[in-house]
Amino acid sequence: MPTPVLICDDSSFARKQMARALPKGWDVEVSFAGNGAEALDAIKAGKADILFLDLNMPVMDGYEALAAIRAQDLPTLTIVVSGDIQPEAQARVTQLGAMAFLKKPVGEEEIAQVLTQYGIRGTDKADAAPVQVEVDIRDGYKEVANVAMGQAADFLARLLNVFVLMPVPHVNMIDSADLRMALSAVAVGQNVSAVCQGFIGAGIAGEALLLFHESSFQDIAELTQYQGKIDGNAELELLMDMANILIGACLKGLADQLEVSFSQGPPVVLGRHVQVSDLLKGNTLRWKQTLAIEMGYRIENRKISCDLLLLLTEDSIASLNKRLQYLIG
Amino acid sequence: MAGGQIELGELHWLLDVLQSIDIGLVVLDRDYKVQVWNSFMANHSGLPSRDVISKPFLQVFPDVPEDWFRRKVESVRMLKNRAFTTWEQRPYLLRFKNYRPITGAAEYMFQNITFIPLTSVTGEVEYIGVVINDVTDIAMSRQDLEAANLELAHLSRSDRLSQLNNRGYWEECLQQEFRRLKRTHGPGALVMFDIDHFKKVNDTYGHPAGDEVIRQTSGRLRETMRNTDIAGRYGGEEFVAILVDTAADGAQIFAERLRSVIAAQTVRHDQHEIRYTISLGVAEMQERIESPKQWIECADRALYEAKHGGRNRVVLYQFPAGV
Repeated sequence: MPTPVLICDDSSFARKQMARALPKGWDVEVSFAGNGAEALDAIKAGKADILFLDLNMPVMDGYEALAAIRAQDLPTLTIVVSGDIQPEAQARVTQLGAMAFLKKPVGEEEIAQVLTQYGIRGTDKADAAPVQVEVDIRDGYKEVANVAMGQAADFLARLLNVFVLMPVPHVNMIDSADLRMALSAVAVGQNVSAVCQGFIGAGIAGEALLLFHESSFQDIAELTQYQGKIDGNAELELLMDMANILIGACLKGLADQLEVSFSQGPPVVLGRHVQVSDLLKGNTLRWKQTLAIEMGYRIENRKISCDLLLLLTEDSIASLNKRLQYLIG
Repeated sequence: MAGGQIELGELHWLLDVLQSIDIGLVVLDRDYKVQVWNSFMANHSGLPSRDVISKPFLQVFPDVPEDWFRRKVESVRMLKNRAFTTWEQRPYLLRFKNYRPITGAAEYMFQNITFIPLTSVTGEVEYIGVVINDVTDIAMSRQDLEAANLELAHLSRSDRLSQLNNRGYWEECLQQEFRRLKRTHGPGALVMFDIDHFKKVNDTYGHPAGDEVIRQTSGRLRETMRNTDIAGRYGGEEFVAILVDTAADGAQIFAERLRSVIAAQTVRHDQHEIRYTISLGVAEMQERIESPKQWIECADRALYEAKHGGRNRVVLYQFPAGV
């Protein structure tokens, strides 16, 4: 009898990646859920002896789902598969009763290893048909961004010894005329300091733009145990440190997944203590559309927030899509 | 690298430096075939090294001007001396995208190029290194600075309301033209005019209306004169123009045309329709005029007579007979 397996992830791309990584020939009946609430229903319907559970999802996230599974004593073994790989995230899900924690992007061997470790793999079926999943390519952008963002958050968490809250990244095509507006929406009414850094490689070119909210400097200084007065120079130093960590880790995460390597230009300070709407003032923008991936970082119990935007040129999209296709076969 | 011996381990990280450094590095052999193509080159050109290595550089990049390129490379080879080109001579060797394609102002990457002779153990230059530096930010700041300086120069010379030369700069131009005429003994004329009853315009319709009259008058002056003539706003409602290479009769024709154009036009401001006239004095350059100041006094004298003669007219300054 096939084992009922449930894959719960808000991204169709991640669902497909996950389904592909299940051991070949394992006799399973795969179902899917797009958030924690759907997963609970599926478990109750007996579709999830094994649950592969994402953490960052809309409606009901993975933490809430784990808590509900425990509270209602639902019959499933949960393996968390997450882009958020902070030590604290792992500790929290283990405490909530998850059996194992796998880092995205997840490979076939890692899954097989966990299944063997817990003695789950039972019967094999020789002619298992591959599972069909419809994939929206925008979910692909979102998923690789999510994983890259998770790697950056992990750096930050370990460096500052904090827990970084990671919302789901937003993906949009933006007209050049609307870029200023889109940026303003990221930080409404706030003064920000901004650093941007160009990157290019394998036909993919763009800029990483870090918007650092002004109110964050004091807390960052405390967390990094910065000695001395927080003057303009100190702020610039802190800003650049944050930019190096977040942009560097995020681009590396992206490049690793796409199996490319980027050249990175020197970081450029676009503005300090300015309204976001003033950041690009006077620039004539030469392109029509950009693929914008927006990632917001907040630090738990601190007034620290910043937004990292990846802006990709229109002519990068073909190459990006091609590489995403490799990932899901 | 003690004693000049490079260990294999060292070679590995040395090559890693060359690969990953954020500067373009190309090495060409005697036949201009590419021997080294680092990741900066691969990423910015979009051509991975497998597509370029061992291929003739000029064939892979036909847009590079061949004669120029060969001349550079051969001189480096022959003289065993480095050669440099800057973005000012030639904006780029290879047209790459701006490193910041979204927020950057430049369309492409400005490059400084260095050609380096690479000698073999026999002392022969067997290879040429080509180093590409991204200097887009420098080029853009330079261009911004030049534009700002031009704007500043313009601002310091012009009168904001009329967009004509201001008095200070116009007087400098007059000095220059006066000296030129003293040397060439060519023809030249000076026109000075003012708006009749301008105070009444201000009092009746308000100062914004007066400003509009100044703007319109300056506009007609610019349209009537030639590009080479030099006009300025001399005082509140007083204007001047140096008519280059123009004798008395030509200057009178110019002044008369301007007078009639102004008299025929209606300036609209808010609900008001304003009609007004100007009086003009013309002074031709003569040998006996000894200074720019004296030339202006002649034109001013003629203007005074135009006013007293009933306004809305042109008067040519008459030099006293026999002097």
